[in-house]
Amino acid sequence: MLTVGLDIGSITTKVAVMESGRILYTDISFTGYNPEKAWRDILERTLSGLGLKESSVDRIVSTGYGRNNVSIAHKKITEILCHAEGARHFLPKVRCVIDIGGQDSKFIRMDDKGSVVDFAMNDKCSAGTGRFLEVMARALEVPLDEFGELSNKAKNTVRISSMCTVFAESEVISLISKGESRENIIAGIHDSIASRMVSMMGRTGVVKPVVMTGGVAKNIGIRKALEKKLGIKLDVPETAQVNGAIGAAILAQNLNGSNR
Amino acid sequence: MERFAYYDTGHEFPEEIVMATGFTPYKILGDVHEPTDPADGYVHNYICPFSRSALTEGLAHSNEWAGIAFCHGCDTTNNQYDIWKYHVETPFLYWINTPANNNKTSKSFHARELRRFIDHLEKKFNVTITADKLKDAIKVSNKIKGLMRQLASLRSKKDIPNADYHEIVRKSVQMPKHEFIKELESKLKDWKKRPEFPSGMVPVLMTGSDITYPEWMDVLESSGLRIVRDDMSLGERYFAETIPETGDPVEALVEYNSKIPQPPTRLPFEARLDYLFKCLRETPVKGVVYQTLKFCEPHLLDLPFIVDQIKKAGHKVITIEREYTPVIDQQVVSRLETFREIL
Repeated sequence: MLTVGLDIGSITTKVAVMESGRILYTDISFTGYNPEKAWRDILERTLSGLGLKESSVDRIVSTGYGRNNVSIAHKKITEILCHAEGARHFLPKVRCVIDIGGQDSKFIRMDDKGSVVDFAMNDKCSAGTGRFLEVMARALEVPLDEFGELSNKAKNTVRISSMCTVFAESEVISLISKGESRENIIAGIHDSIASRMVSMMGRTGVVKPVVMTGGVAKNIGIRKALEKKLGIKLDVPETAQVNGAIGAAILAQNLNGSNR
Repeated sequence: MERFAYYDTGHEFPEEIVMATGFTPYKILGDVHEPTDPADGYVHNYICPFSRSALTEGLAHSNEWAGIAFCHGCDTTNNQYDIWKYHVETPFLYWINTPANNNKTSKSFHARELRRFIDHLEKKFNVTITADKLKDAIKVSNKIKGLMRQLASLRSKKDIPNADYHEIVRKSVQMPKHEFIKELESKLKDWKKRPEFPSGMVPVLMTGSDITYPEWMDVLESSGLRIVRDDMSLGERYFAETIPETGDPVEALVEYNSKIPQPPTRLPFEARLDYLFKCLRETPVKGVVYQTLKFCEPHLLDLPFIVDQIKKAGHKVITIEREYTPVIDQQVVSRLETFREIL
């Protein structure tokens, strides 16, 4: 059975193609202004690259904010279930998932059978998400993908006290003016994100093992800050950023008949 | 009959006293569709958006009301009284210091406060509010509460969309009472004939900040969640109990107020939890939706304890924060749909 998972996020659109439980291909592109164009383009490019037609695909599941825009999806499933499923594919015994994406951060708790039993998401605020990091990267004039490495070189972790992304940016600019090093500031930014995440996780309770997914999982600095606060080692798949799409493709395998 | 407006973030206001004065009580609910620019000139943007909407309504419509009274509710309510005093034109503005406790001293104080309110109304409007008039008003209120209990109980049995119930609870605090009784009787006949509770909907208990606009009810509906119980002031808190019809009517109002499901502005918060557990015992639900308006401090302060206790009792809970806007964004929809998926 050939299935496709499409995760249309606020910043990036991800695709995963699976055949009989095996990941064939994954890809990611920017969503931009037009989510429909984003998923159509990435799907067309993916199928073309694999030498497949849309008619070859048995089932499609869409997830993410833009899931309802995918007219060809057999089913639309929220990203919580898809991320949980994707994490289970990576680590069958997983009990919790931390997902920090572009505008959302989520914490998912599962039972020992892999069913989602509780979840928490960030309040209506982008602080503690990928968006927060983008704003800080601009303020510090550092490419985002260098954040992790730089925070490893920090001598101190500067405290960022502002709860709001906009005000935290002002605070960072003030710290730069005072001569604080980028490394220390970035360590403070990571610590701030980790603190918010851990507070949110406290509402549902943490059970090991814990998998981290989402684009921010690539940032070693945040992973380390989280591990330090939680006292738990986090497992991070290579496919962290496309985990939702993988989960959607897996759930597509479980659909019966054509539900379009 | 002329309207007398009141600003009450709980269900503390003695509507019956206003009815006995000869006015229709009208609860100020703001209008989410109107910008709060007029109020924002007097109140900081970080203050509760509902309170700014209420002030905007007051600024625009106070000349349509015989007078306005506040009840001691959340801090935002209390501290806005002076703002209204300076900026809202009205011939009569009053603040009733409803106590936060239900002990003997508090009840005695509450009775004095209500008598003082009566005294001021009598002097201002040149009326005599007799015990008989109050008793008649109490009877009318009790009739309404009885009918609303019957209507509300149908939510778990019949196909009653969230917006239909919401329309009724809004009208309960704004419509002339006798006209409303006729509408309730008609609705009761209609709702009893409705189809059975739809299999595609999930029954939930809702708690949290009062919902004053139907769009939020619609988003719950489209997420597959049907509210069958609640403890909100625009909801069951208004009609869960009956006012005693014997004895002194002012004492009866005090006694009634001490027994209604508590809002988060009252102490202790275990009393609020007791009512929620009572709802959960009486009516099968799949989960609890605890929604709060952004910046709604009383509910946000109660939230960690209440949610923790409900979860420990084995119930699934979603906590969700909303902006004061009729535009429902995808973040909220995703959260509600996910909650439905895991129930």
